[in-house]
Amino acid sequence: MKILRVFSDLGDVTTTTYDQKGNKDKIKTEIGEYEIEYLGPGWREGELLFKVNGEIHRVYFDNGFIIIDDETLFKIDRISESVVEEGKSLEELIKGKEGEILSPMQGRIVQVRVKEGDIVNKGQPLLSIEAMKSETIISAPVSGTVQKIMIKPGQGVKKGDLLLIIK
Amino acid sequence: MPPFNKVLVANRGEIAVRVMKAIKEMGMKAVAVYSEADKYALHVKYADEAYYIGPAPALQSYLNIQAIIDAAEKARADAVHPGYGFLSENADFAEAVIKAGMTWIGPSVEAMRSIKSKLDGKRIAKMAGVPVSPGSDGPLESLDEALKLAEKIGYPIMVKAAFGGGGTGITRVDNPEQLQEVWERNKRLAYQAFGKADLYIEKAAVNPRHIEFQLIGDRHGNYVVAWERECTIQRRNQKLIEEAPSPALKMEDRERMFEPIIKFGQIIKYHTLGTFETVFSDVTRDFYFLELNKRLQVEHPVTELIFRIDLVKLQINLAADGYLPFTQEELNKRYRGHAIEYRINAEDPINDFTGSSGYVTYYKEPSGPGVRVDSGITAGSYVPPYYDSLVSKLIVYGENREYAIQAGIRALNDYKIGGIKTVIELYKWISRDEDFLKGKFTTAYVSEKREQFVKYLKAKEDMKAALAASIYERGYMKKATISTQQQQNTTRRTSGWKTYGIAAQSSYRVMW
Repeated sequence: MKILRVFSDLGDVTTTTYDQKGNKDKIKTEIGEYEIEYLGPGWREGELLFKVNGEIHRVYFDNGFIIIDDETLFKIDRISESVVEEGKSLEELIKGKEGEILSPMQGRIVQVRVKEGDIVNKGQPLLSIEAMKSETIISAPVSGTVQKIMIKPGQGVKKGDLLLIIK
Repeated sequence: MPPFNKVLVANRGEIAVRVMKAIKEMGMKAVAVYSEADKYALHVKYADEAYYIGPAPALQSYLNIQAIIDAAEKARADAVHPGYGFLSENADFAEAVIKAGMTWIGPSVEAMRSIKSKLDGKRIAKMAGVPVSPGSDGPLESLDEALKLAEKIGYPIMVKAAFGGGGTGITRVDNPEQLQEVWERNKRLAYQAFGKADLYIEKAAVNPRHIEFQLIGDRHGNYVVAWERECTIQRRNQKLIEEAPSPALKMEDRERMFEPIIKFGQIIKYHTLGTFETVFSDVTRDFYFLELNKRLQVEHPVTELIFRIDLVKLQINLAADGYLPFTQEELNKRYRGHAIEYRINAEDPINDFTGSSGYVTYYKEPSGPGVRVDSGITAGSYVPPYYDSLVSKLIVYGENREYAIQAGIRALNDYKIGGIKTVIELYKWISRDEDFLKGKFTTAYVSEKREQFVKYLKAKEDMKAALAASIYERGYMKKATISTQQQQNTTRRTSGWKTYGIAAQSSYRVMW
């Protein structure tokens, strides 16, 4: 078994466990469990058939994108592999580092409401980011102490940038 | 003869492209303006001419009256179409256009000034005999004043920017603490977006529908109401899905509104397209006036489809003193079928609809029977973070609502956009939702359904990531790429066309 981190081109990261057994893959994520079986080529050139939890899906590739059932698409930016660390539970591995707050979007920091050393409660607003005419407030996902703030008001941030760390 | 020679479109994105299509069809030249962020945008490429008007932030470009007038003069345009948003309802801009000797495709400056803010609109609505919801009669000076009035009319209330539009600066407030919290923030946002920070409050209707009527008038005193658009499916007061006609209205409901709306138009001498926004209660079957939008609406295509008219061409003709080509009775007879518009926003519905900017790396547009796409993007387009997140509109038509939804689901499946997040997957879910199919919804629909659709969307994304991991780990993608490459190598680059006979035998030496 190994741990995979699937980075999509849109900046989403899905951590999964991955187990290959014969022609079947067993994959577990934070919210789902999948048994994926490759059934072989489809009826058309370039088409592949997969059985995911008993349901058959058609897949083809176009311009680096995985097109599923000719209806929805996914692009892998990269996939990284990590070894299973001893003593760590699967949940911990999948959820990633707790307390690291990443920017959910590209935008500009309007206001930072906390400073380093502050004690924050879960759900407390930490900062606000403005993008596309609207302001989004980022709240603390956990309670703890603000250990480090990486950004200043007025600064532009990209999606996935580390904003601050709560310990 | 086209009414003008050259029309400048003071806007960007899909609406600029949509308006330019009408301009081109009418045999006129279309002029675009663009900011630093839009250098390579579709509307710039589509125009006959394009002029740079300033840096990316809207205040310095698309809201910069002087820069746009300069561009119009440089281009020798003889008319200006403002689209929606930005300067479309700005009387100072209209005045500047007219002063520069060009025609303003929109309401007269006087009509705009008479309903400068949403509050003026409410006053005239009262005169015209339209019910309005209780609230402040003028802009509120201070937070204290707002708190006092809110206490009187009772929570929940809506805090609105008097000069706002497009749902910005509108916040629902349920208690005094919340009012204190949003007051300064909304003031700042209103100032940034519209240049004026005036706020007012009014009582919030509980779970209403949002229904708007299309008023059309000419300069010769003729008016019609091109029925209504149902715009109830919204989030954060911004519309997502609109349809015409409303599944909730009967003919007698809508006809009841025609007279007061036309009266409103007559009072302010309104002679172009205008949209009369109301809230409607399923229970009491009463309409309450919200505001008159003095511009072409984002969702105008649904009206175009059910009446088979082109509102932009009509708007341009009306600006050139044209007559309304139909009476109310004739228009009523033109009505056929049902149309739905899906606003394709670059937003992440899983993450509270946060905007998503970036390059469009994959783009396949739907087409076919009953499908219209008004798009501002194409493959390779950049979606900048500075402006509205609306990148395209999918409009579908069917002989009835059921058929329109069928066309909608098919077209949403065909619409594939990569590189940015969009609301397409959410719309697929909504289009299959029981309550939506029955037409049973209020403005709270999206927030009420949030938990359900977020769960569904997350599960779908998760499955896709898992499948991608499996494909990657087993190297299927690499294999597929190699096999297509080999295939390309075996086929000759040059055309397969062969010449036989005399042409093949002859050499250029002989020819010369």
